Amino acid sequence: MSKLSQKHLLGIKDITREDIELIFETADNFKEVINRPIKKVPSLRDVTIANVFFENSTRTRLSFELAEKRLSADVVNFSASTSSVKKGETLLDTVNNILAMKVDMVVMRHASPGAPHYLSRHIKANIINAGDGTHEHPTQALLDAFSIREKLGSVAGKKIAIIGDILHSRVALSNIFALQKLGAKIMVCGPPTLLPKFIGQLGVQVELDVNKALQWCDVANVLRIQLERQQIKYFPSLREYSLYYGITKKMLDNLKKEIVVMHPGPINRGVELSSDAADSSHSIILDQVENGVAVRMAVLYLLASATA
Amino acid sequence: MKILIQSPQILDSNSPFHQKEKNVLINNGKIEQIGDKNFSADRVIKAEGMLLSPGWFDLGTFIGDPGLEHREDLASAAKVAVAGGFTELAMLPNTVPSVQTKNEISYITRFNENRLLQIHAMASVTKNNKGEELTEMIDLHEAGAVAFTDGLKPIWHTDIVLKALQYLQKFNGVLIDHPEDTWLNLFGQMHEGVNSTRLGLKGMPRIAEEIVINKHIELLNYAGGKLHLSKISTAKSVELVKAGKKKLKLSCDITAYQPLYDDSYLADFDTNYKVSPPLREKADNEALIRGLKDGTIDVICSGHLPHDDESKNLEFDLAEFGILNLQTFGAHLAVLSKSVDWVTLLEKVTTGPRQVLGMEIPKIDEGVKANLTLFDPDKSWVLDERTNLSKSRNSPWFGKELKGKAVAVFNNSRHWFDH
Repeated sequence: MSKLSQKHLLGIKDITREDIELIFETADNFKEVINRPIKKVPSLRDVTIANVFFENSTRTRLSFELAEKRLSADVVNFSASTSSVKKGETLLDTVNNILAMKVDMVVMRHASPGAPHYLSRHIKANIINAGDGTHEHPTQALLDAFSIREKLGSVAGKKIAIIGDILHSRVALSNIFALQKLGAKIMVCGPPTLLPKFIGQLGVQVELDVNKALQWCDVANVLRIQLERQQIKYFPSLREYSLYYGITKKMLDNLKKEIVVMHPGPINRGVELSSDAADSSHSIILDQVENGVAVRMAVLYLLASATA
Repeated sequence: MKILIQSPQILDSNSPFHQKEKNVLINNGKIEQIGDKNFSADRVIKAEGMLLSPGWFDLGTFIGDPGLEHREDLASAAKVAVAGGFTELAMLPNTVPSVQTKNEISYITRFNENRLLQIHAMASVTKNNKGEELTEMIDLHEAGAVAFTDGLKPIWHTDIVLKALQYLQKFNGVLIDHPEDTWLNLFGQMHEGVNSTRLGLKGMPRIAEEIVINKHIELLNYAGGKLHLSKISTAKSVELVKAGKKKLKLSCDITAYQPLYDDSYLADFDTNYKVSPPLREKADNEALIRGLKDGTIDVICSGHLPHDDESKNLEFDLAEFGILNLQTFGAHLAVLSKSVDWVTLLEKVTTGPRQVLGMEIPKIDEGVKANLTLFDPDKSWVLDERTNLSKSRNSPWFGKELKGKAVAVFNNSRHWFDH
């Protein structure tokens, strides 16, 4: 098998284990490429990609843009806050305007769950979901799983704790789908108000005590507190959150085993993760960033060749 | 003009011809004769296998007139409702301005002159349906308001519910409320469950409905009066209403689509299935069916809530709640008839709603005015640009083949035939 089962990457929910493995194998090759002195390949020459970001992003957009440029694609960027778009032009109009300029692929981040699915019903270009509200962030989950595979040799059978604001996290949801497809065991941990009531029905364990979660796991994927996506107050204060759910180097050192610490970034240092923990030997946070480029190159390359 | 309806099955438990196949002759808006003879007529409708019942009544239709006419106005609603098989309906007061003075009532009822469809006005309980200040309900009742409700807006203010229940007792009026705790549903997009978790959409929990039903039953027990709960949706709600009905003047309705669809229909973010109350789970739907059978649920309504394309064809969380359903209502009844018998189903759209409002119930008998719906449960048709009579098109059934359609409707000395 050398082709993806899908024309778009809307979510991990929609792709197969074989798709994920194909992306990883392709990413292995691209990771080798981006560590060469000449980091560029001509694979996507003459392919135009629009990065359409309706929500703020630094690293995801940069990572996509680098991936696109290393594949020799032509790249255009569009950013707008959802609120200004809400007042005037609709999402469909905005994207159709961009497509009228002959764009082949759209990488989109949007605050509304399902926005890329909606778009995929109306436009022809390949769509890559770069985060849709509280729904999915598939390339983040792929790079997370890729990084676990790189660090621990494989994902199957590993115990992975996802810690923090599960309710508002597209990273958590995509991670659950991806890691389950690859055979990992998953636990979610956070304050009860930040855990969806029915999350257990997705086949994950639920834990309220962060120390117990750390003792259980091989990998702790620590999530950012999504203050910007909380429309309602879910916990009393950041102070209390960091006291009872924050992870410090001391906590990691007290474990009787080595665990891997991950974070999708940007870190609220001193809130969910202390600086000494983030910068410790446990952490593979910067490897995640490097792998992000390779994994995104693989996704772009495979989607472009699926359509060609 | 003499019209003969040839051998339909008559379904009207108040009629001596109930569950009989007879020929029905209508002359100048009256049922002249019912019998086995082939009465001579100017027009004959071959109605074998079809169901003839008293005219259907929709309790709680949204019509945006005045103020929101681009979604549905009185004239378009009249066409859609009749094509859906309705001879009467009670319209929600969610207009702009809301139905809160005699003016709005007369604006609506004036429209009924010389028309088949009779639109009854329900008046707002509170000014602009804000849930804060009571309207002049006695005056509105005198002007013709058939019930009091804030319609699509649940009455959040507990003391207002209490006062309304008390105040309406002067004229034995009925309070209608859609039970929903808007705080628990704040920013909610769909039913809370494993599917909302999977889709990353904020859920609307069952308890948001159930705690309000509990609260309202306590209020009704304390204050007395008559309460109707509109659009219930959960299994527990059915149980709560069933218990409450034993000692209180309590009734409830569901929309026709509610027991037929569940939250799995939202899997690819189709905004046409975004409704309030939300589509729930199979167990809830089965309980609603049981509630229809055992009489807990008194009324089936269309839940007709038209929206312009700009409010529906967009990102899921920005889209409005609601579905078009006057025209497709009968097709849903036909699906429901696989689990609930036709006699029971048709009672929920003929006697049920009229009893809630304390209105006269039309009868199928010789010498009475013809207020009738003739329905063909086997007729296939497609809702599309050509057949859709609504000003809006927010229906998940657009372009799909449906089975079950009204064939003829009679009321107010007028008739309509499906072509």
